[in-house]
Formats: sequence, C-alpha cells, structure tokens
Amino acid sequence: MEISLGFISDWLAATVRCGAPLMLVGVGGVYVERTGVFNIGMEGMMLAGSLAAIAGSFFTGSTFVATICAMAAGGLLAVGHAYLTVTRRANQIISGLAINFLALGATNMLFARLFPTVKARVCLYPVLAPAWLHDIPFLGPAIFSQSVIVWIAFILPVPAAWVLYRTSWGLNIRAVGDHPHAVATAGPSVLRLKYIGVILSGLCAGLGGSALVLSELGYFAPNITAGRGFIVLAALVVGKWNPIWVAVACLLFGGADALQLRVQTFGSVIPYQFPVMFPYLLTIAALAGFVGRTVGPKTVGQPYDPEGL
Amino acid sequence: MSGRGTKSFLLSGARELLFSGARPLFAIALALLTSAGMILATDANPITAYAALLQGAVGNFVSIANTCVRATPLLLGGIGVALGLKAGLLNVGVEGQIYAGAAAATAVGLIALPVPPCVHLFLAVLAGFLGGLLWAVIPGYLRAYRGISEIVVTLMLNYVGFYFISWLVEYPGILAEKGAVFPQSPPILESAQLPVLIRGTSLHAGIILGVILALFFHLLLRYSPFGFRTRMVGENPEAARYAGVNVTRQILMVILLFGGMGGLAGTGEVLGLKLRLFDAFSGGVGYEAIAVALLANGKPLGVILSAFFFGALKAGANKMQIVTGIETSMALVVLALAVLFVIAIGFGERRLISRRRKRGKDQAAKETQAYGN
Repeated sequence: MEISLGFISDWLAATVRCGAPLMLVGVGGVYVERTGVFNIGMEGMMLAGSLAAIAGSFFTGSTFVATICAMAAGGLLAVGHAYLTVTRRANQIISGLAINFLALGATNMLFARLFPTVKARVCLYPVLAPAWLHDIPFLGPAIFSQSVIVWIAFILPVPAAWVLYRTSWGLNIRAVGDHPHAVATAGPSVLRLKYIGVILSGLCAGLGGSALVLSELGYFAPNITAGRGFIVLAALVVGKWNPIWVAVACLLFGGADALQLRVQTFGSVIPYQFPVMFPYLLTIAALAGFVGRTVGPKTVGQPYDPEGL
Repeated sequence: MSGRGTKSFLLSGARELLFSGARPLFAIALALLTSAGMILATDANPITAYAALLQGAVGNFVSIANTCVRATPLLLGGIGVALGLKAGLLNVGVEGQIYAGAAAATAVGLIALPVPPCVHLFLAVLAGFLGGLLWAVIPGYLRAYRGISEIVVTLMLNYVGFYFISWLVEYPGILAEKGAVFPQSPPILESAQLPVLIRGTSLHAGIILGVILALFFHLLLRYSPFGFRTRMVGENPEAARYAGVNVTRQILMVILLFGGMGGLAGTGEVLGLKLRLFDAFSGGVGYEAIAVALLANGKPLGVILSAFFFGALKAGANKMQIVTGIETSMALVVLALAVLFVIAIGFGERRLISRRRKRGKDQAAKETQAYGN
C-alpha cells in the first residue's frame, strides 16, 4: 500500500463520509447523557432509522419524507426508552439493550417483508455544490462532493453547543444530569427535561441512520449499523460530553473506520483490525484517565426519584 | 403484635415468591401475544406459526438437542451476568469474554499434549475460563479500584475482543490455519473436544457443565460467606463496608468470576459445537445472555429456565421459518419484548415497596403523635 496524495485525499473524503452519521447521533447522545440518562439503545434507534429511511425513500421517492420517517422511527423507540427509564425508573442499560434487540429483530423481519426480492432502488440525498467545485484538490472530494446530510452533520454540533452552553434551557439540560434535585427545586420539570433529552437522542439517532444509508449506500442490509451506535457512546466519553469535541471524536472514529476499509482492500503491514480497535481502546484509556480527566454527568444511569434524595 | 408481624412477613414472602416467578411468565405471555399480533400482520396464522415453533423446539429428540445446544452459551454466559447483578454490577461484556475464552480454549485445544484426553479437555476448559477471567481484569480493576463504571468498559472490550479474534485467525503464525479459504483456526484436537451426548445430534456436554454451574452458583450465593458478601455489596455497598466487608476485593472477584463464566460460554461453543475458532463465530450470543439473565431476575436457577426458553425459541424459529416463512429474527423480537415487559411491570414491585414505606412512615408519625400526647 502506497501512501500517496491520492490516497490521502480519498481517505479524507471517506473519513468525512463515515464520520457524518456518527456526528449526527453524537449530538443527540450529548443531550441524553447530559440529562442523566444512558441511551445504549441509540444503536437500535439508528438501525430502525436506516430501514425507515430506505423504506420512506423507496415508497415516496422523497428524501425529505425519508428523513421524517427515519427520525420518527428513532423517536418512537426513544419514547419507549424514556417511558421505561424516566417514568417507570427501569434500569437504563436493560431498557436500551432490549430496544437494540427489538430493533434488530424487527428490522430483519420488516426488511424481508418489505423488500422480498427486489434490490430496492432509492433516491439519495442531493449533492448541492456545483460540479466544478468537486475538482478542487482535497476540499473537493472531502466537502463539495458530499451530500447535504453530511453538511448538516458538520453544522449541527455548533448550534447544539450554543444551546447547551449559552441558553438557560441548555443550563437546565446540563444541570439535570448532575443535580436533578437542585433543578427540581429551581422550578423546571426534571422529568420533562429527561424526556426531551431521550427523544432528541432518538431523533438524532434516526437521522444518523438515514445519513448512513441515504448519503451514498442506497440500500439496507440486516444490522447495517454494526455497532456504530456504540461507537458514539465511546465518542461521548472521548469528547467529554461537549457537542463540538464529540463531533471531533466521531470524525476521528470515522477516520479509523475509513482507514480500516482501505487497509482491508489494498493490504498493508498493519492488520486492518487494529485501526477498528482504536476507538474502543482510546475510550477505555480516556475512562481510565490516561488522556486527561474524564468525568461524565454525575447521575447517568441512575433513575430519578422525585421524592428521594 | 408479634403474631401479626409473623403473618404479614409470611404474606409478603408468599407475595414476593409469586412476583418473582409470575412476573417473567406474565411478561413472556405478553411478548408471545404481541408477537402473535405481528404474525397476523404478516398474513400468517399465529397458531400454525407457534405450533411449528413448538415442534421445532421440543418436537423430537433432534429438536430438543438443538434447543439444548442453543441454550448452552446463553446459560453459561447468563450465570455470569446473574452473578454480577447480585453484586449490583452489569456485565455487558459477555460477547468479548466469549471471544477471549474461546481463543484461549482453542490455543490449548490445538496443542497435542502428552496427557490423557480427559485431562487435555479439562485444561482446555480451564484455559477458556481463565481467558475470560483475564479479559475482565481491566474492567475489574477500573471498577473496583477506580470506581469507573464497568458498563462502558465491558461494552468497549466486546469490540476489541471481536477484532482481536478476527486478527488471530487471519494472520499467519498465531492461530490461523494454513491454506484455509476462510480465516479460521485448524480444527480442535479430538482429545480436547467436549463429548457428544446423543449420537447423531450436536448436543455436547457443555449443557451439563452449565446446569452444574448454575446449581453451584445458586448454592454459593445463597449459603456461602462469599455469596452473602456479594449480596451485601449489591444491596448496599456502604453498609457492607461498615460491616467489615472488603468491598473493593469483592467487586474485583465478582467481575473476574463473571468474566470467567463468559469465557466458559465461548469455550463450550468452540470445544463442543464449532470445533474451531473463526471470525465472528458468536454472532451476538453474548448480548442475548444478558437478556436471559435479566429475564431470570438475576437468579442462577432461573437462568436455567430462561436460557432453555430462549434456546427453544431460537431452535423453533428455524422450523417456523420453513413452515410459515416468518423470519427467524422473530425469536429476538419475543426476547426483547419479554425483557421490556418485565421491566415495565417491574414498577409494580417498586410501588408496593414505596407504599409499604409510606405506611411505615404514617405509622411512625402516629406513634410520635401518641407519644407527644
């Protein structure tokens, strides 16, 4: 395998493409964990979003409708997660895992039912930049030839961070994961904030799922997300629950994924398994404190009991 | 006064017994009912579908053997998860431990040792246990000594394990078979294979190991000082520390043990069923084992039942697909719904407790008032 400029340019473009769905899911991930709810079910929500996007695009021919379908699928599962973990105070990991199983099983069943024989032809997200911009070295393939959903993925973390750090509602979101009882005393409804966080994460996961299948692939396959929702959980830790840094971590992990695909195709001295392991090992290192101090929202994983302190 | 106390104690005991057994059964019934609705929606007859499922699960010797084979890794891994639950720890890393244990068992199972076959088998199984145990050292250390949640760490290690095994069986000189078309290890030597129980089926001795270990952990948790300490740490770590339990050590030991059980789940798969190590051989069984343990409410004996239940679902789903064309993933949907219903009903128990607590408070208030007067 040669490291040439062409290779780097190609890898950069693939990094952006692989990172974008993760970044979309990551925005929701930040919000949900900031409200003190662990959402391991984002993997399943993303998977459900992928199938809903393909189905929406196939049956209506509109990527807009497909996006709505994808977000609705993710959001619907999130409502279930919110109900179980916030209202009924069930264990968040258990609920999330069960949602993953449900999404995996149900998407397999629905996929076989909806697309029994035809290889579905669907419409993809449009590429907005004019063609002459695509030829600019590096920037062309990395930015201008990407579809609009990739652009959205790169823009979204900025307003997400602004809302989180510069508005009083964002302060509520940040506070509720650390000191829910203080928030309750100050007035805002803890349960409502948590619901919003969980549902936002479901909408974002659905959107990420639709970005995964409708930006370039154009098809669905069983378990197509293959752990990308879990990678986002890793990015939350590495990005320290800050939308911007989480997006950077997602891009980094997307880069590792893109590198793995290239190494696998061209062959090299590095086994392709090593770049894919990197995000997970980095996350453990971050948790263990080898790369700075990493402390998450204090009450993540704990159910909120309005009466108990 | 004391008579009333005994009576209410007995009543609450009976009620809890009813709850612990009835809750999962009720949830499973609801899950099957919901799934029947989904089957109806796909224009199939749910009764035909479930009949096929039942026949595929327990219809004859071969299908019963099939059910047991599928239940084996769920049982072994599920016991580990159950053990963790008792200590208030959630082992999300069964999948990774399965890969680690399988790799270690395979490594020993491939070497022709100058020992009798049963010793070779024992050594391979032991290696598998230790492989899983070693895989849990990192989350164990981080949780016990640094207070870092075991959940994210074990989850991350699943993927590390997955790709680690994929590398082991692909790159020459480690475990990869020379000249193989697919990345895989050479076949396990016969002396290290788990014996087949019924000739003509793939039913291997792993299931016996699983049942024995479930009984062992049931007794261990209930009657041994180790079990008592584990439950104490799970109920209230502060109180346990106050009572003189070395909480750090206890947590570390439980995590290492459940890692070992995860390793055994992988060991059973390679030494009994797959007979060699290859890429992605587990296919998510480790995650299913978590659901199995949850369905059993974290009780080792309950895990036997729920592992067999889900093993039967998986085995029967194949037959159901042949007869009605419904996807085998139906089994996963039923499991997911059952778990969701269990935790949804779980609130009833909590409400019961809080009502009891409230009654206690009222009582105390009344007594205080009476004392004041």
